[in-house]
Amino acid sequence: MKEFLMLIREDANYGELSAEEMQACIEKHYRWVETLREKGQFKEAQPLEAGGAHIRGKQRIVSDGPFLEGKECVSGYYILLAESLEEAIEIAKGNPDLDWDRAVEVREIMPMED
Amino acid sequence: MDASGQLAAHFFREHSGRMVASLARVYGMAHLDTILDAVQDTFETALTHWRYHGPPDHPRAWLSQVARNKLINALKHHARYSHATEAEAPLPALSTTDPDPVLADEASTDGQIQLLVACCHPALRERDRILITLHILCGFGIPELANALQMNREAVKKALQRSKAILRQKSLKLGQHAIAALAPQLPTVCTILYLLFNEGYKATRNSKGIDFDLCYEALRLTKLLRPVATPEAEVDALLALLFFGVARFPARLAAYGDWIPLEEQDRSLWNTPLITEGFHYLDQAKRSGYAGRHYLEALIASHHCAAPHFAATDWKTIHDLYQLLENLAPNSTLIRLNKLIAKSYAVGPLPVAIELENFTVDGSPGTAFLLAAMKGHVYQRAGCAAQACAAYEEALSLAQNPLDSQLIRKRMETTIAN
Repeated sequence: MKEFLMLIREDANYGELSAEEMQACIEKHYRWVETLREKGQFKEAQPLEAGGAHIRGKQRIVSDGPFLEGKECVSGYYILLAESLEEAIEIAKGNPDLDWDRAVEVREIMPMED
Repeated sequence: MDASGQLAAHFFREHSGRMVASLARVYGMAHLDTILDAVQDTFETALTHWRYHGPPDHPRAWLSQVARNKLINALKHHARYSHATEAEAPLPALSTTDPDPVLADEASTDGQIQLLVACCHPALRERDRILITLHILCGFGIPELANALQMNREAVKKALQRSKAILRQKSLKLGQHAIAALAPQLPTVCTILYLLFNEGYKATRNSKGIDFDLCYEALRLTKLLRPVATPEAEVDALLALLFFGVARFPARLAAYGDWIPLEEQDRSLWNTPLITEGFHYLDQAKRSGYAGRHYLEALIASHHCAAPHFAATDWKTIHDLYQLLENLAPNSTLIRLNKLIAKSYAVGPLPVAIELENFTVDGSPGTAFLLAAMKGHVYQRAGCAAQACAAYEEALSLAQNPLDSQLIRKRMETTIAN
């Protein structure tokens, strides 16, 4: 079993979503994660704060980073368990975030070579 | 939340109104914009966290606490940068460690009622009252409002801003005694709730037919009103009317989305428990001797609900009830037309056809269509196919709802076939 990092990219502005839609979004996610758990495909997931810092190079230049409001940024991550990238992609396709036109990115976490 | 992690249906929507009401009661209507922002912000925070971790054990308390903290921070921020527009309103003593008034449930019910009365303020236009009520008390966002009431988003936004400015300016006090001020406002509030229900029922120009959400919200808010309404008869009558309405929903729309006229409805699809509930409230209203508009309309609906089949309808009584309604509202085209429908079944279609030829509608939307559609149907029943088709043609040119057009076309086909 391999581990995959799934990053959620979205516009940090939920302004147009109504209360009803937000509830629907939460419930869809909850149900989806439950099915992943049952299939043993879920390890963990965490949301990320919208703010943060970007630190670059030898000079250690600190900036606000690419977290500007209204711009697509990484809002959270999942660690998925799958046999192959293909399987991980199929799992990721089930993420309800896609129904709200968000984007996800799936990358295999490279295991330590024995 | 139940064991499967499911939130109650419409939990966010309902809790949105509850939180706004509680916060407005404690911190004042002058801060309405900040309060609405804090509540919206709270749902966004919930969305961020609950999406990953599922809802917490006590979602209500979680939301209320977060909303209150967000509001307090925002108000402190405004106070510090006092050029902010709302800063003139005095701030109540702020502390995050105070006992939480937002969590007290009955306070929130009172608050919602007061907010409802405020939203139905006579200074607001009628449509604006519906919009602001749905927005503030039912958590409807701008796109949802635009969709539900068939307006463009910009118009909805402007209407909400206009209403909020008036509510702020009136600086309505939502306090313990504000409930006592409900009585004189009750008829207006009931009217708005009924309009709200009708918006869902008619779903004007909307091919969906019935917008159940609007009807559900109207019913929920009316129920909220009942324990404090004095006299309660008007609220009881309205509740009866709404229950008789929702009870017949399933029969009103065909599986493929067509309107089904009363005559053709499968009455076994009517929801008996809801009809029973309607009769319960009708009974309550009857006892008080109140005979206002909602009561008469509920009585009419009760006669339809009580008839086992269309031919058994007591049209004579329904006609007389419409006459009483007409006495209360002599200028309503809708009531006069409905009275004539009842008459056409009680007396016969031909005399009514003649009356309809001389009937003039007021300018209110949809009435010209109704008149033409009705003329067509009355002529059809009288066996005058040519006149019926001419009237149906006219109705088609006036129809604003795809469902209405379908119904008229179907009736034209039957007329021609016979």
